[in-house]
Amino acid sequence: MAYVATRGGARAIDQAERLYRAELGQIDAARVDAVRRALPMLIDRVMGEASLYEPDLAALALAQAGGDLYEAVLLLRAWRTTQPRLAIAEPVRQEQLFTHRRISAAFKDIPGGQILGPTLDYAHRLLATGVLQGRPYSPAPVTPAATAAPAHQPSLAAWQKAQGLVADPARTEVAPDAIPDLTREPLLFPAKRAHTLQSLARADTGGMLTLGYAAMRGYFNAHPTVNELRLAEAEVRVTHPRGTVFSAGRVKVSQAEVTSKGKSGQLNLGFCATLGWNEVKVISGATLDLNAAAAPKGSPVEEEFFLYHTEPVEASGFCIHFKLPHYVTFQSSLDALRGAKASAAPQSEQVPS
Amino acid sequence: MVSERTVGMTQALSLLPPQLMTTPPLLTMTGVSRRYGDVVALHDVSAVVYPGEVLGIVGESGSGKSTLLRMMNLEDTPDTGDYRLALPDLAGNLFGLDRFARRMLCATRIGIVYQNPHQGLLMQHTSSGNVAERLLIAGERSFANLRARGRTALEASEFPLDRMDARPIELSGGMQQRVQLAKAIALEPALLLLDEPTTGLDVSVQALVLDTLKRLQRDRAITMVIVSHDLGVIRTMADRVMVMRRGRVVEQGLSDQIFQDPQHDYTQQLVHAKL
Amino acid sequence: MSIASLTKAWQPMSYGFLDASAKRELRRKMLKAIAVPGCQMPYASREVPMARGWGTGGLQVTLTLLKPSSVVKVIDQGADDSVNAASIRSFLSKVSGAAETWDTLAASLIQSRHRIPEERLHAGQILVLQVPNPEPLRPVEPNMSIARQMHADADYGRLWLILYEQIVRSGRIMEGAAYPSLVNGRHVMTPSPIPRWDVPKLHMAQHLTFLSAGREKRLYAVPPFTKVEPLVFSDVPFKVEDHGALTCHRSGVKGFYMNEIPQGDGGSAYELSDSHLGIKAIRQAEGEADRIGATWYQNGQSA
Repeated sequence: MAYVATRGGARAIDQAERLYRAELGQIDAARVDAVRRALPMLIDRVMGEASLYEPDLAALALAQAGGDLYEAVLLLRAWRTTQPRLAIAEPVRQEQLFTHRRISAAFKDIPGGQILGPTLDYAHRLLATGVLQGRPYSPAPVTPAATAAPAHQPSLAAWQKAQGLVADPARTEVAPDAIPDLTREPLLFPAKRAHTLQSLARADTGGMLTLGYAAMRGYFNAHPTVNELRLAEAEVRVTHPRGTVFSAGRVKVSQAEVTSKGKSGQLNLGFCATLGWNEVKVISGATLDLNAAAAPKGSPVEEEFFLYHTEPVEASGFCIHFKLPHYVTFQSSLDALRGAKASAAPQSEQVPS
Repeated sequence: MVSERTVGMTQALSLLPPQLMTTPPLLTMTGVSRRYGDVVALHDVSAVVYPGEVLGIVGESGSGKSTLLRMMNLEDTPDTGDYRLALPDLAGNLFGLDRFARRMLCATRIGIVYQNPHQGLLMQHTSSGNVAERLLIAGERSFANLRARGRTALEASEFPLDRMDARPIELSGGMQQRVQLAKAIALEPALLLLDEPTTGLDVSVQALVLDTLKRLQRDRAITMVIVSHDLGVIRTMADRVMVMRRGRVVEQGLSDQIFQDPQHDYTQQLVHAKL
Repeated sequence: MSIASLTKAWQPMSYGFLDASAKRELRRKMLKAIAVPGCQMPYASREVPMARGWGTGGLQVTLTLLKPSSVVKVIDQGADDSVNAASIRSFLSKVSGAAETWDTLAASLIQSRHRIPEERLHAGQILVLQVPNPEPLRPVEPNMSIARQMHADADYGRLWLILYEQIVRSGRIMEGAAYPSLVNGRHVMTPSPIPRWDVPKLHMAQHLTFLSAGREKRLYAVPPFTKVEPLVFSDVPFKVEDHGALTCHRSGVKGFYMNEIPQGDGGSAYELSDSHLGIKAIRQAEGEADRIGATWYQNGQSA
């Protein structure tokens, strides 16, 4: 008998869940702590897609989901949506970021300097198999630079704006609680700029890479040059009900700005930022943003297309929903199919009864 | 529908200057101007078209002739200007109509054939379906009638009926234009707009399509406005001609008049270049 | 006076899971949906502790409507004990304390995927249908912003065109479930992937129906006594599935929508899709006092 028709569905799903969890074993604080310390890049990726900056909860979600990324993101999103809004943080400007890594591919050197920071970009990707033979791999210690790079760096785009290379549209100030919030409003198109950036920040890293890579390879117009890529920490400054502004802590952020030559004789910019350090995501996202303005309707680099299709919770949920029984709809199609067969060789000029 | 008219009458009418026409015009456009940024697409253009008449609009690309046709099809609204069609239940400036009313008016009373069939056809649907869609928008809900009326329209466009359920994407350029034409005339519109309908077709195919248009015009006395950069096409089709340049009308008159005795320098250039 | 006396004790989640701001938004959108029958209302659609595509849209509407006195029935493909129905039902009772039932007549609130029960719903009952794809225009226009404009223009010619071409190609309309239907003479909606058998049950019904798509963030409604007309040609009548003459091999009941069960001998057996109707019929046959309500179909014909 089919699994749905089984009487006692409640018992079946209960046991199926137990079977899965038996494999994962007991989850305790030590395991969560180990996950958090061992997998910082994964924690960052999950926090970005969940749009929730809480490394402990992200580690817990990963432990609870056994490392299934989409499950972990859903756990965090479902938790996040029930949380109250206590305050809205002040905007963070580029020059206020505590910058760990900042590079530009557009110029050899830039005001403030290129800061390589932590990266595996130039590492040789050799698997340290010795570890499995009992020889622990310990990284060589870092030699501090003679002069430390300044923590705060100017924005390259600010220099470009001053040079007239980049359009500098007038900024309109928006009250903090008037900023459109994607998690409390539906995403409609043409999208509000805030919704676009929020949606990119929450997007699926893999999905964004796929569509961004398609654009980079040449499906559609703009070839991106990395104008500025930053890994940084941002101070979260909030206002106490009594009026004092204080720091509630720092969050890791990444952001990318990519550029290409525009039609109007100026440079076009594409931008993407997210919580946590995730370079692939922000470069892909910024490339999609760069292409969006000129994208034809229905193309994969059109905003509606890439924002809808890189939403990790929606995309993964819909994908796995096809496991659900569909036999009522299937029966309905079967009926139409058999009906058409029965009235074989239809005369199209006749009106069917 | 005015169907009593004969070929003889067409000739007789075309001898008369327009102001002596006894019937009021079907289409009246007055003082239409449109700018796109710094570009003046149309400047103070006025036009009239009488029932059963074919007005040709000629000019080089960028002269504003296609923009004017789009205005007649209410696809765009000018900065200033007045547009009227003398049809029952239709009063006032048509540029003032809302989106909904425009759509219904265009679907039911105005037919259009575009130069690019992709613009006028659903390429992935059947040819008969393209015609049927028009009828559906106008409220036809009988399948038998959709079939019959689709067949009639395709037949009138001299489209081979054994291909009526083929998709336009599978058809030749000339056939695609015939599907567009069938779709345009399916509801017997008061006004048929033709935007470079034969441009891009082989010369022999072009002649056949023009032939069909001529026959349709003669049999049904459809009021037409045809836009072309090709003087040959205009000469074959039009009773009266409007010459446009840089968004303005530089000369207009009876077809023979314009071609035999062009007054404006620009028209003279055009006609001589052609000859 | 102490802080404790002025505040509520901390709870891990709000009543009915969703917080007050989410419920307020949903209530507003649900009222709008009732006011403009069949018109899709965009809503924020919160993440809930279930995967998107698994009834999260229906769940949000149900959670908003729930109160401790509610009696909830949840079905999937017509069955109460289907695995996902069981999962949703236990979540609903866990977060709201509402009573659970399998009996259509006893339910005040019915959340369903792909079916409308065979017993007539009455005034006061609310049916919540889970919707995977709320956009009837998707097959002709995948772009949501263009489709929205087409709804505003009542531009449905291409939907009819699909039906026209199905008849031309196959000699009949080939739409299966989710048959596009005109609501209140204005908006075409997809009635969710219910079989054609169930579409007439929405027309001038006594009950209120909400249709909600969580992943696509759209909800719409069919208020009581509202016209729901499947798109058909005047000379090609709407046809429901040819199930009127089939008999359930378990209960012996005839004349309702059936599940086809392929048999080893090459044939098929049939069983009632509305599983609880089957259970009631078997109980009645065994002499138990179980009431079967009035049904929309009688002897396989729409009543």
